[in-house]
Amino acid sequence: MSLSYILRRLLGAVPLLLGISLILFTIIHLAPGGPLDMYLDNPAVSREALDQIAARYGLDQPLPIQYLLWLKSMLVGDWGYSIRTSRPVIVEILGRVGPTLQLGGAALLLSLLIAIPLGTLSAARRGTALDSTVTLASFVGISTPVFWMALLLQLFFSVYLGWLPSAGYQTIGDGSLMDRLLHMIMPVVILSLATIASWSRFIRSGMVDVLNQDYIRTAYAKGRGEKGVMVFHALRNALIPAVTVIAVDFGTVISGAVITETVFAWPGMGRLFMESMDGRDYPMLMGLMMLGSVGIILANIFADLTYAALDPRIRYG
Amino acid sequence: MTFKLTRRAALQGMLAGGSLLATMRAFPAMAQAVGGTLRIGLTYEIDTMNPYSTGFLGDAQAAVLEGLLAPNSEAVYVPVLATEVPTIENGGIMLSADGTKMDITYKLREGVTWSDGTPFTSADVAYTWEAVKNPTFVAESKDGSQDIDSIETPDPLTVICHYNTVKPNFASTLFTFGIMPKHIIENTDLNTSAFNETPIGTGPYVVKEFVRGQYVVMDRNPTYWAKAENGDALPYIERLVFHMLPDTNTLITQLQSGELDMVVQVPYSRASQVEGIDRVEIVRGPLLSWQHLDFNFRVPSLADINVRKAIAHGINREVMIRAQGGYPQAIKSLVVPVFDLYNPDTPEYPYDPALANKLLDDAGYVRGGDGIREKDGVRMSYQFMVQAGRADDENAQQVIIALLKQIGIEATANNQTGVAYREARYKGGYDLIYGRWITSADPVYSTFYGTGGENNGQGYSNPTLDAAFTKMENSLDPAVRKDAAFEMQRIIAEDIPAIALISNVAVIAKVKTLKNFVPNPTNMTNFVDTKAWYIES
Repeated sequence: MSLSYILRRLLGAVPLLLGISLILFTIIHLAPGGPLDMYLDNPAVSREALDQIAARYGLDQPLPIQYLLWLKSMLVGDWGYSIRTSRPVIVEILGRVGPTLQLGGAALLLSLLIAIPLGTLSAARRGTALDSTVTLASFVGISTPVFWMALLLQLFFSVYLGWLPSAGYQTIGDGSLMDRLLHMIMPVVILSLATIASWSRFIRSGMVDVLNQDYIRTAYAKGRGEKGVMVFHALRNALIPAVTVIAVDFGTVISGAVITETVFAWPGMGRLFMESMDGRDYPMLMGLMMLGSVGIILANIFADLTYAALDPRIRYG
Repeated sequence: MTFKLTRRAALQGMLAGGSLLATMRAFPAMAQAVGGTLRIGLTYEIDTMNPYSTGFLGDAQAAVLEGLLAPNSEAVYVPVLATEVPTIENGGIMLSADGTKMDITYKLREGVTWSDGTPFTSADVAYTWEAVKNPTFVAESKDGSQDIDSIETPDPLTVICHYNTVKPNFASTLFTFGIMPKHIIENTDLNTSAFNETPIGTGPYVVKEFVRGQYVVMDRNPTYWAKAENGDALPYIERLVFHMLPDTNTLITQLQSGELDMVVQVPYSRASQVEGIDRVEIVRGPLLSWQHLDFNFRVPSLADINVRKAIAHGINREVMIRAQGGYPQAIKSLVVPVFDLYNPDTPEYPYDPALANKLLDDAGYVRGGDGIREKDGVRMSYQFMVQAGRADDENAQQVIIALLKQIGIEATANNQTGVAYREARYKGGYDLIYGRWITSADPVYSTFYGTGGENNGQGYSNPTLDAAFTKMENSLDPAVRKDAAFEMQRIIAEDIPAIALISNVAVIAKVKTLKNFVPNPTNMTNFVDTKAWYIES
């Protein structure tokens, strides 16, 4: 693994991003509606006024021109202005990155801490009641709709018990660490459920494959105890396929969790995306999705580097 | 207890449309004291606190910035920062000699200050006009700014607006949205000014904190100019908090858990859930919006009055209302009943499919083998448009399609959104169209059904109706306007360029301890008059 390899990968990402931006731009314009739709019910907003607003944001230009204009300003670091708020896209995004990273980071950490032991244990005790329980729980976790689970938690912990705030980022006028942690509990748990479920499945199946290998038998034959075999011989090898999935999930954190953030009124990127989508705020959407794409590309590069770290046979030159 | 009951009954009576305001005033509420916090849930994210450029109705904005006039709970304009509503009689409106222009003089209230202590003067009014008119300021609510040529401010409390036209609906535009402070916004770019987040106003509340995507906190303005009749300083409620909660489930959960006190627009489908919450009660407020079915007059069969009459008899409003949870109200005129311009004698077409069928039979439209009628080889099959993605409208469309089928008319959904929908609506790219209009308290109706009206995509033209519009929209005499409005409603009902079907209501959920709350049906929202609200401890 060399610096030049990383550099080459980063350079390769440039044409990739260009392609992505073109596809994204096409897709968001294929979606029905437009940013001026919100004025449709108001007869006092005249056709002229609408035309003026359209001209101001370049919406009157043909789509290819609109794309080129967007690309041109993006290349010099100008992300454009939000149609909904008239504020610079970059300013809007920067205001949302913190809460999103906080929520996503905490959820990923929690997921790692639970999914790895759970998957390992499940594989080691394959076929037992414990394995079946974990498997069943994973499938329930993967299949449960996030908004429904969130609603159940809100009803139980906020309405019935009254222990946790049902939504929001902080209490007005409080904002202490404790207050923020209390607000984080439910969204983090909800966001983690699906990742814990899917990651533990990947780790379990990776482990099951590895446990049948000769070198595991050899390790046992050498007299190594079960814990040692599991952690140092099996898990390290089993992680390689799981790393791809985990890394991509890390990458998506930057785009925010649309449903969780909406349900819990969390002021992050996912919710900004939702609001921008509703208002067909094209510059905002492009900015958010490009940032998300960068996140995923970086996560993929990171995954490849992690393979090399985990498996000495993999070398990049 | 008896007293409480009386007051509640009075409130309900008033909501039902009766005007028992006087009764309520005769029984001043008890225990009105300054204090308390009202936490309000909004389903949208507030984009800007500037009432001229927000893309939503300005709920939060209305509590901070005040206009010269404001519409009250019966959609009648009353003075706020002005001392009276200008009329011909009080000399506030002066027509030019040839009757084509007018001057409006506002006398401003004395002793009003901005929340930063600076006195409010006529210069602020004049500057608000200049700022809104400025072409670099991107805002949709610029209506009315082009009608004024110049503004004179002979003294700090007098504003004379020289209009280049006669605009009887002047009150519904420009200065009603709010007066902005000259000393704050002068020499700033209003598109990006900090004023858009923490505006300084003359209103009962002062923005303390605006956190994007989360909340707006506003505290009581201790130097607010208005006093209660008993001399109490207003407003009563110490703090208003607008929480932005995009998910309706979460809104209702928060009403239930006690984290919210008020939700101003509960979706119909959720209202029954809210009814089950002890601490909360539902108030139904009228809204100045109406749903209508329009005909394209370029289609020969739709230009036939018999067909339009048959369709009018063929639509069952009750079914449409039931399909939306029973909340909308049936209407027969495009002037909704809240207005005093509403003509209660507007002719109506009761649901009567037998009569509808007879009308079509008599007019020579005979049913073919598939049950669909035709005349001269042309089937009665229409392209029927609503705005795609709007669940309530698509729902109503399905009901109408089924009802039309009963009278042998086929309608096929052809729904569009965005530019396609807008252009189709302007140019008549449909046979039938169903949609809604939401208006101010003083709408201009000729835009919909006047010859060449901007929103008349139907190609409809009726000189008698045009004459009524002209009379109504160019007269400053209330009696003449009312006569013309009555006539307009009669002609529309008789000639049926469109059928006014249902009017929406606002389902407002509020804690029972919030008193003196009166819903406001206009585009200035319920928060245009918050000063007398109080929280019972």
